[in-house]
Amino acid sequence: MINPFLAASFKVLKSLGNEKTKKGELGLASSPVKGDEVNATVGITGDLLGQVIFCMSQQTASAVASTMLLGLPITTFDELAKSAICEFSNIVTGNAITELGDKGQFCNLTPPTLFVGKDVLLSTKDLGFLVIPLKTGFGDIKIYIALREADK
Amino acid sequence: MRTIKVLNLVPGMVLGQDILFPQTGATLVSAGTKLTVELIRRIEAFGIKEVMIAQSDKSRQEVKEEELIPVMTEYHNRAINTAEEIISGSSEQPIEEGVVKELVSELLEQVDLDSDLMLNLSHLKSYDNYLFSHCVNVSILSILIGESLGYSSEELNLIGTAALVHDLGMMKVPNKIWKKNDVLTPEELTLIKNHPVYGGEMLKDFPEEVVSIVKEHHERFDGSGYPQGLKGDDIAFKARIIGLADVYDACISNRPYRSKLTPQQALQIIFQDKDKFDPHILKVFISVMAIYPIGSLVQLSTGEIARVVRVNKYQPFRPIMEILFDRNGNKLEPALRIDLDDDKNNMIHIKHNLSPEEHNSILEKLGAAF
Repeated sequence: MINPFLAASFKVLKSLGNEKTKKGELGLASSPVKGDEVNATVGITGDLLGQVIFCMSQQTASAVASTMLLGLPITTFDELAKSAICEFSNIVTGNAITELGDKGQFCNLTPPTLFVGKDVLLSTKDLGFLVIPLKTGFGDIKIYIALREADK
Repeated sequence: MRTIKVLNLVPGMVLGQDILFPQTGATLVSAGTKLTVELIRRIEAFGIKEVMIAQSDKSRQEVKEEELIPVMTEYHNRAINTAEEIISGSSEQPIEEGVVKELVSELLEQVDLDSDLMLNLSHLKSYDNYLFSHCVNVSILSILIGESLGYSSEELNLIGTAALVHDLGMMKVPNKIWKKNDVLTPEELTLIKNHPVYGGEMLKDFPEEVVSIVKEHHERFDGSGYPQGLKGDDIAFKARIIGLADVYDACISNRPYRSKLTPQQALQIIFQDKDKFDPHILKVFISVMAIYPIGSLVQLSTGEIARVVRVNKYQPFRPIMEILFDRNGNKLEPALRIDLDDDKNNMIHIKHNLSPEEHNSILEKLGAAF
């Protein structure tokens, strides 16, 4: 389940000119976990249910947003920058879901929601999170994944 | 209700007042009638110049886009012809403010009707005569930025007027210089750099504000502009707006020294040179243009090729598009409309902007459609 997300992140970061992404040690985290300064959550529905949450510092988010925004320097983390992070999260999740579909698990996603601010606690109903820590040229990004198979 | 010139009527508009036979005073068309192409022709044939129409916003919803496109294309072409008459004529006799104002008020009406369509028209055609279409397009763009800044209709008229004549001074620069695709000599460069001043001098009858805007439209926020090298707040605010619109439209037009760039490349160039522009105006500009400006050709994550037809102010990455080619390259007729902000399209995103070469080859394939 984690591989499509890993592959999607690498692919999208590469398309943003980021060749040197490295993954840290994959892990598990029990709910709740502490978020970062910028947290984008994308809901997944269909054969799998749950959330994917992208967490990063504001500095990292600004670097990602700037690249998404054709190189526009981000001086304040405004609505435009926020929409760029939402789109980034949407694209990564969308790519991962497409790959899950190729493997026979059909899902859809809900539009990303963004939480900005320190000391955000992320909780999930019944599970812990799979954690993908990424070291990217933009800075560190952590992806928390909480997914379970839907009742058939 | 508002008065509108018969020339600018569009099918779908609703009459706000009876139209009477000029000779007899009998009713020709009664108030509340939804206009059709046929009716507009008849009104025109009776020599009627102006009519009252019901609220524009309401009528806009009733106008079908496919009916609007040919009509607005014609307006746009006519506006360029009029701009040519005005600007070319200026070498023989002084330019009259009234004539320019009339054209600008028509442009304002069209922008009011459907600004997205107007923006679409600015780059779906390659005009032989750059200068005149450029003046019209910069006027449209400046009006749109002004609207987003909350300008009154007087201010919109003023900025539209100044934008329409901003490059008037180019008439004083010999044709062979500004059509040259080679390095300019220092003398030629001086002439070019003085065109804003020449333009200002040619506008004797115009309001002081219009004159200073024209003179300062090539000044840049960081002081790198010409001819005076003014900086920041020393440059007239509306000149800063027109300066930005000017750069954008020049980028998306074919020039003697390079072929036109894609809308996104134009944005990239502006962002790279961001210090040259007022940050506040730049922000408004981005909200008007979004990240995939109208006219952008993109590939979707589904493999399909689409053209951006309307932008979403609140979701700059999720515009409304028309899918032109399916994932196998087959042309879709008619094009399929898709709103990326629609929930059912959550899984779809714009993969990338097509290259200028791809833009050109697709525009060629579409050919007569626009």
